[in-house]
Amino acid sequence: MSIIQVQELKYRYPDTERLALDNVSFEIEQGEFIGIVGRNKSGKSTLCYALAGLAPHFFGGGYGGKVVVNGLEIRASEIEEITSDVGLVFENPFSQMTGSKFTVFEEIAFGLENKGIDRTEMVQRIEESLFLLDIEEIKNKNPFSLSGGQMQRVAIASVIAMKPNVLILDEPTSQLDPQGSEDVFRVVENLAKEGITIVMAEHKIEKVAQYSDRVLLLDDGKLVDINTPEHIFSRDDLETHGILAPAATRIAQALDIRDPLTGLYPVTLAGIQRQRGEI
Amino acid sequence: MNNKGNRRSMWSLNLSTAAIALIPAAIGINYLGKLFAGLLRLPLWLDSIGTVLASILAGPVIGALAGIINNVIFGLTADPISTVYAVTSGAIGLVTGIMAYKGWVSSIKTAAITGLVVGLVAAVVSTPLNILFWGGQTGNVWGDAFFAYLINNNVPLWLASFGNSIIVDVPDKIATVLISYFIFKALPNNFKNIFRGGHEIEEL
Amino acid sequence: MGAMTLYVKQRSPVHSMDPLTKILYVIVSIAVTYILRELWAIAAMTAVTFLLLVIGKVFRKIIPVLGLSLLLIVSIIVVQGFFNPENETVLFELGFLTFYEEGMRAAALFTLRILNMIGSFGVLILTTKPDDLVESLIKRGFSPRFGYILLSVLQLIPQMSATMGKITDAQRSRGMETDGNLWVRTKAFFPLIVPVVLNSLNETRERAIALEVRGFSSKGKRTFLNVTEDYPYRHVIRGVLLAVLIGAIVWRVWT
Repeated sequence: MSIIQVQELKYRYPDTERLALDNVSFEIEQGEFIGIVGRNKSGKSTLCYALAGLAPHFFGGGYGGKVVVNGLEIRASEIEEITSDVGLVFENPFSQMTGSKFTVFEEIAFGLENKGIDRTEMVQRIEESLFLLDIEEIKNKNPFSLSGGQMQRVAIASVIAMKPNVLILDEPTSQLDPQGSEDVFRVVENLAKEGITIVMAEHKIEKVAQYSDRVLLLDDGKLVDINTPEHIFSRDDLETHGILAPAATRIAQALDIRDPLTGLYPVTLAGIQRQRGEI
Repeated sequence: MNNKGNRRSMWSLNLSTAAIALIPAAIGINYLGKLFAGLLRLPLWLDSIGTVLASILAGPVIGALAGIINNVIFGLTADPISTVYAVTSGAIGLVTGIMAYKGWVSSIKTAAITGLVVGLVAAVVSTPLNILFWGGQTGNVWGDAFFAYLINNNVPLWLASFGNSIIVDVPDKIATVLISYFIFKALPNNFKNIFRGGHEIEEL
Repeated sequence: MGAMTLYVKQRSPVHSMDPLTKILYVIVSIAVTYILRELWAIAAMTAVTFLLLVIGKVFRKIIPVLGLSLLLIVSIIVVQGFFNPENETVLFELGFLTFYEEGMRAAALFTLRILNMIGSFGVLILTTKPDDLVESLIKRGFSPRFGYILLSVLQLIPQMSATMGKITDAQRSRGMETDGNLWVRTKAFFPLIVPVVLNSLNETRERAIALEVRGFSSKGKRTFLNVTEDYPYRHVIRGVLLAVLIGAIVWRVWT
């Protein structure tokens, strides 16, 4: 069974008329890496919140349809049950630091203490997350003394330590400098290799093309398409949905380099090289 | 103010995470309000704007907690004397929260009246504290000079001490509630309902 | 930027005392000085408090904190000394100023009480790490949600102050008038405070989401990363403190 099933999901924030999500349906398989793309206000963040149960349980508002994550029906569950299965990381690294902890090690412990994880296992899980996120050398620093990129990796580590089956990232690098972004993408790729299902809303289209198994394209709260990056970025109507194809795809289009079987354009440099028989 | 829908009782003790997270922000705003007032050499404290805003946004329970915790924190980190006035700050949050809920922070006029009431309540609560802990003074030069003048003219101690608190508290609280009202009006809508908690979920 | 705390990292017998015992000390010593009216007893309690500060190697750190209340103390001495309604017996005259015994007695009483209040807070806050303090409260049943508020304030206020620096610079560069008459300065208050409020409310909303995602609303039993230390003699010390408090109440009622 798919790990995430979304059926005819409709959602509207309180005191608004517009549907932020309008009749969205799709399924995601265990271990997939899904990129969500779309222009600003297309519903990317809202979809992330809906998968994590924050819409409707945190925001309130209007809700219809059905979301099931790892066998848990979101509408009928409480946030604290959902958070055992779904982790969420978002844009601003600063506001994801709890503020009540004085070292990175303790910061990562915050969620585990709330969940009542046994101390020995807690320490072991923290060590593991520190390793996965490559932040062992800063474990005794104050979270607020870190750079944005380091802070964001601490935020991811804090969520990963809670051992979710699904990790949702809502534009995790949009407030980071290039080096910080690169570090975050690198560790997310590591997590994907660990078998965690990853759903990432992201503006940096090259990165989406590089990492995603499938890409979900949203426009005005509606699902336009969910398919392989090659399919999505080869669409003729991509720009009408506010998306510019990756540079590699545009080059391939200009040079008419396609996959002879599918007729689709490659989306990365490696893809171009593959088509030209260079690999 | 938002009066539509079935709002929860203002006395609900089931505090949402957003409301809990609002308290540190309120205390920070209190602190910065005081710093800015000092920077601009305004003749007022303006050190309870955060408490008043928290009361307007999240009700009397959160307002009172923000006030109490504000003074406890400053007692523990800067000036122990301020702990004594945790009761006063709590009362400020409580009264503002109740009056805002009843619609008394909805225009300049009502906000000014609420400020007056809050200032009087603050003075009423502070007076016994001032008498008990330091014999009636406050450490504010003008207030204490007024106090000495009244005592010297055979005004009873409690009345003199109340007078001392009034001339310090009332103008400050009127200004504080007015400023908070202007800020509240300028807030985007999605900030106005997030802190109330108990969201109704409507089926679509 | 560090957290907002007066804690002084040291090794001393006072530092290694149980935080809860120190809280009890603050409560008992302040209560005793306000329950009793005998100057000698209050002076003795104050002396014990300051002795603890010396043992805790933090005596010098309390002086700036006392300084904050200097105005209050001076005001008490002047107002009580000259204007106390019970003033009768002339203690001494200094030129045209007459100090009365009753007023000076009252002033001494209040001054000692204030010194003890500040000093006993000092015993607690100068020798106890804030997170140890809050965690020991939570372990004894204090709400973890309130514990969270207390600790996060300590770190968030310095962060907000840092933001404030940026805002004041930005507004100054746009020609904000920090001089000029009262009305001009009052109007300048808004462009300073409004961005602070908007910014902090936005962060509050996001932080609330982050807290939810990390199980802040969990109702089950929680665990702690830091193991509880064992504090020797804490029961004995608490017993002595409670005995002193009861003794003071009995004395007050008796005499």
